[in-house]
Amino acid sequence: MSVFKWVARYILFALSIAAGGAFAQDSASGDHVRVRWLAPDSFAVGETETIGFYFEVDPGWHVYWRNAGDSGAAPRFDFSSDGAGIGEIQWPFPTRLPIEHLTNLGYEGNVAYLFDVTPAAGAEKLSLNVNLEWLVCKIDCIPGFGTMSLERPVGTAGRWNGGDRALRDQFAQRIPRPGSASPWRTVSLSESGAEKVRLTLEGSGESPRVFPLDGNLLTATQPALRTDGDRMDYTFARVPGAPRSAATGFVLTDGERAWQFDEIPFTAAPVAPPEVENTALWWLLLAAFAGGVILNLMPCVFPVLSIKLFGLVDRGAAVHGRLREGLMYSAGSIATFAALGALLLALRAGGAAVGWGFQLQSAPVVLALVLLFWLMALSFSGVFEFGHRLMNLAGSSRGGSFATGVLAVFVAAPCTGPFMGAALGAAAVLPAASAMAIFLGLGAGLAAPFLLLSASPVLLERLPAPGPWMETLRQLLAFPLYATVIWLLWVLGRLLGDSGWLIGTLLLLAVVFALWLGRSFARWGRAAGYLVAVAALITAFGALRAPDEDRQLAGSAWQPYDKAIIDRARAGGRAVFIDYTAAWCITCQVNKKLVLESQSVMELFQSHDVLLVRADWTERDPEITGALAELGRNSVPVYAWYPPGAEKPELLPQILQERMIAALFSGENILQLTEDDTP
Amino acid sequence: MNGKQLIRSLLLPLVMAVPALAFAAAVPGEKAPAFSEADAAGKTHALSDYAGQWLVIEWFNKDCPYVRKHYGSGNMQALQDKYTGRDINWLTVISSAKGKQGYLEPAQALKVAESHKLNASAPFLLDADGSMGRAYGAKTTPHMFIINPEGVVVYAGAIDDNDSANPAVIPDSKNYVAAALDASLGGEVIAVASSRAYGCSVKY
Repeated sequence: MSVFKWVARYILFALSIAAGGAFAQDSASGDHVRVRWLAPDSFAVGETETIGFYFEVDPGWHVYWRNAGDSGAAPRFDFSSDGAGIGEIQWPFPTRLPIEHLTNLGYEGNVAYLFDVTPAAGAEKLSLNVNLEWLVCKIDCIPGFGTMSLERPVGTAGRWNGGDRALRDQFAQRIPRPGSASPWRTVSLSESGAEKVRLTLEGSGESPRVFPLDGNLLTATQPALRTDGDRMDYTFARVPGAPRSAATGFVLTDGERAWQFDEIPFTAAPVAPPEVENTALWWLLLAAFAGGVILNLMPCVFPVLSIKLFGLVDRGAAVHGRLREGLMYSAGSIATFAALGALLLALRAGGAAVGWGFQLQSAPVVLALVLLFWLMALSFSGVFEFGHRLMNLAGSSRGGSFATGVLAVFVAAPCTGPFMGAALGAAAVLPAASAMAIFLGLGAGLAAPFLLLSASPVLLERLPAPGPWMETLRQLLAFPLYATVIWLLWVLGRLLGDSGWLIGTLLLLAVVFALWLGRSFARWGRAAGYLVAVAALITAFGALRAPDEDRQLAGSAWQPYDKAIIDRARAGGRAVFIDYTAAWCITCQVNKKLVLESQSVMELFQSHDVLLVRADWTERDPEITGALAELGRNSVPVYAWYPPGAEKPELLPQILQERMIAALFSGENILQLTEDDTP
Repeated sequence: MNGKQLIRSLLLPLVMAVPALAFAAAVPGEKAPAFSEADAAGKTHALSDYAGQWLVIEWFNKDCPYVRKHYGSGNMQALQDKYTGRDINWLTVISSAKGKQGYLEPAQALKVAESHKLNASAPFLLDADGSMGRAYGAKTTPHMFIINPEGVVVYAGAIDDNDSANPAVIPDSKNYVAAALDASLGGEVIAVASSRAYGCSVKY
């Protein structure tokens, strides 16, 4: 349709309005929409009645709420009457309609917009004229226009057609009531940085859905929700650059009824009682530090640090020299955690859905780690000298100690240990400064044991004297590194399919061959060795490509993550167990093999008809990241257990035991069986 | 290859990943996102070309009812004419992806520019990959942005305060873009620097 044809239609439309009631009618219609009255056959004298417009909308098409959201427009009603009193339009609570990159607020299916009307005193009939304008959208939008009139007698008693009254009542039920009658209380409304606004509610039961009334201030995107006991924080995205008003309103719904809070004043600063907030952050920092300390014992980190430590003993350096080494190492570790934290925050600010371990969702990073661990393992075994050089470098110069600190963080990435989950989960939602503090806490924790040993001659003297046994131990420690290589190759395989194995192992072969060339043929051999190594690296990294077909869950009782299936099962009163996992998460794999897929646990699950869901986070997946955020986490493993009919999940500890699963069905409190990792 | 190089090779993919993932937006009071797009006549326009000058950016989709509201009535062309006449640059962008509503090949775009009597500083900028639209966080057509000579966004949002699709409401609507430009040229403070951009979704 050309612009001019379209304008012509408007002129016709304008003419029809100008012609007064001549074309006015009981209903209106346009593309994909029909509108008719929901009104009684007769009104009662002096009594206010709620009537409305019933919009019948084709499946898949939408009409909008008063705040239409990121695009779209609310319908408009322009009344004229013969003296009857007409109230404001009453809007049933909406649903969020994600449409491509936007979110709209509107209705799935038919809807009625209602209003109150009171016949004029002494009038024998009531007559109304309305000019309507609406917008109906699927992805494309079509505006509609019409005029409708209503003429009804006014008698001693009102009379309804039963079906229409029921329809009216059905939508009247969805009209928001005053907020003061709601099960929730507003605690505060505050700005959270320049881009977010946080609404804090208090009340028991399931968290309500919350819709902003002012689309100029807040976008319609689903707010991030964080619950803490009876307290719920909703964080809304602000329209970029929107100035803060003194107050703003929201509609809350439990899915059946709704309540409206018109003017919630902004408070100057976040209002949560400060001592609570401080205590929480204090505990989280402690948990982060403890988590960092425990990381030292993880199989991927331990060998690197032990060698470094023995280097320190061996050299018998002066105390202040060792202390300097320790400090440089700490600086390396903390700086790397700070860099990772900054990256995570930058990504978070950019709206990307990421979480801890996100480094390992990238195939080049995994391949680089394979190579790194392979070279370290070979050097530990004494196969080649480069390792000695690396270790000498690490052991002698300050830059080396710093590099060891950096290295320790990278090799620690896959080992989310106890205590880290809660701290990292909090870091994902806390303000930037607190989140960064948590990352620094982890770095400090990772660095602490080494720093302590290097600073304290007493402790260092307690270590066994240097001797040939160190060489033997170093060779022994090569084996956990070889194991790590195998595991990382498996991760690469999960990321890339079968070609991941092939690319990885061929690269390892080429590297060993290059080393052999370099050692066996002196100068020319070394040049050829470099050449082979560089060619292999370029080929391997160039060949990294994601697999074409989706990964399948190895034909098991476990379903891939699908929110719709989970919701259906829960609505049907079925228990649901969700295993949030990733191939690169070693704790997850251990739990899976030892507990979740053990015969007795599988039998337990089957005999209780539990829906088993495996949410695989090996690759970046915004849906799973979102689901984790709703649980207040941003790392794996997380084990969420929904007992039949329960509204909220129980989270199991990160290190699972069979008896914990058994306890789910025997009614014992699992949290008493083991020390919970949440502070 | 030494240890440092190894570490660099680890960090590089991480650092490279940042710009690819971030979904930025043009925010009033902040620097405008850079762009470089060819127009329907093949000439490339970049933000840096307009340093030191005022620039209005408008998102367009010829089949969107709200775009028709402002073009069918002549409202948008009149604004373009008025402000380009005062040495303000005006770029009209199509971010519809190929196959989506509003997508135009360069030759078609030139014809549409003619039939719509487009008065912008250039024929339509063709952003079929959506890179410019996403960089600006353009949500709807018409979504409007104003950038001052210092390269700072001073307005982002709707063209006016009436989200009706009916052109008859235009005379009684408050035009945010005109108000912001008039205030700026008169050395006054812009009263409304941000609003909900109404209209059709941009068809990325």
